[in-house]
Amino acid sequence: MYCYLYDEFIQGNKRYERELLDIENRLTDLGIAGKISRLALFRNAEEMIRDEIDHGVKTVVVLGNDDTVRKVLDVISESKITLGLIPIGPKNELARLLGIPNGVEACDILSARRIEQIDVGTINGRKFITGVRVPDFKAELMCNDGKYRVVPTSHADLEIQNLADICNPRDGMLRANIHTLIRKGWGPFARHEQTNTVLPFQFLAIRSDKPISLYADGEEMQGTRFDIGIEAMILKVIIGKSRVFV
Amino acid sequence: MFRVNKPEQSMAQQSSNETIIAQGVKVEGDFHSQGDVVIDGEVSGTIETTQALSIGQSARIKADITSKSAIVAGEVKGNIKASERLELLATSIVEGDVETANLSIASGARVNGKITMGELEKEG
Repeated sequence: MYCYLYDEFIQGNKRYERELLDIENRLTDLGIAGKISRLALFRNAEEMIRDEIDHGVKTVVVLGNDDTVRKVLDVISESKITLGLIPIGPKNELARLLGIPNGVEACDILSARRIEQIDVGTINGRKFITGVRVPDFKAELMCNDGKYRVVPTSHADLEIQNLADICNPRDGMLRANIHTLIRKGWGPFARHEQTNTVLPFQFLAIRSDKPISLYADGEEMQGTRFDIGIEAMILKVIIGKSRVFV
Repeated sequence: MFRVNKPEQSMAQQSSNETIIAQGVKVEGDFHSQGDVVIDGEVSGTIETTQALSIGQSARIKADITSKSAIVAGEVKGNIKASERLELLATSIVEGDVETANLSIASGARVNGKITMGELEKEG
């Protein structure tokens, strides 16, 4: 049984009215129409999904973008139900990585129902699918239960990936990429060169003396301590043929 | 002659379990890995991998190293134990004991320490 979750920004928006109508018609043609739940300002997305699961829903299809998925990711991955996507509007990086086209074409992908189980990352208990980005990284990474620490010695950005163009979300590992900018040469001949450190890991901690900002699946978090881990193969998701991972 | 920057060239084809410690990054402590390791940055403590280790020309290592095989182009202050093969390139400087089954030392490489060769006993 399918449940379609409409994000707030697509409801009553004339820009998406025609597209939504086409999607609903296509879903009916394919015989996979289901209950529609609509997100609203004072409605808790997780509670809505829990209610639907209690009523026998096995697949939740999100109509919206990456932000919409993030609202329901925790409850879907814990409930072991299947996540489907119909990307609408901008900010749909996750759908691209999963090989799902925008709008009405995504209905055919849903109908084909190719399901994969993928890893989900956790940061301070909150789940993420694609990764974590820390611009201007000035902290230290404690790896392998604190057995060793990694510190950038020049300007660096940190990127932790689970699902990315060159990162497999089915290997039970996350990957920390530290992009550092190092200076080479002297005086007027000096130039900056980017280097890339890659650390595969299952658990890692970020420790900082001052509060830092990071972005987990695009959502900002602030703090001085972040514990990052992975829960292997806990999310069932409908994918397209053109997904980026094998 | 030798292309000591090879580790950087191979980055695009990195396997999922390969670790790269690039220039501009410092690692302190006991570093253990189950995959290939490429080091171009600074490491102090110990380095242990069950696979191949490659130490680039810009690397500065103050650590005891244990690996299956190793190629060294940079500076190592510490003992190196490579169970299968150790290759010291022309730019390498090693201050410590070396223990390996097969050893290759290029002209120009500097080794200050005891060299032990032959089949190594595998540690439990």
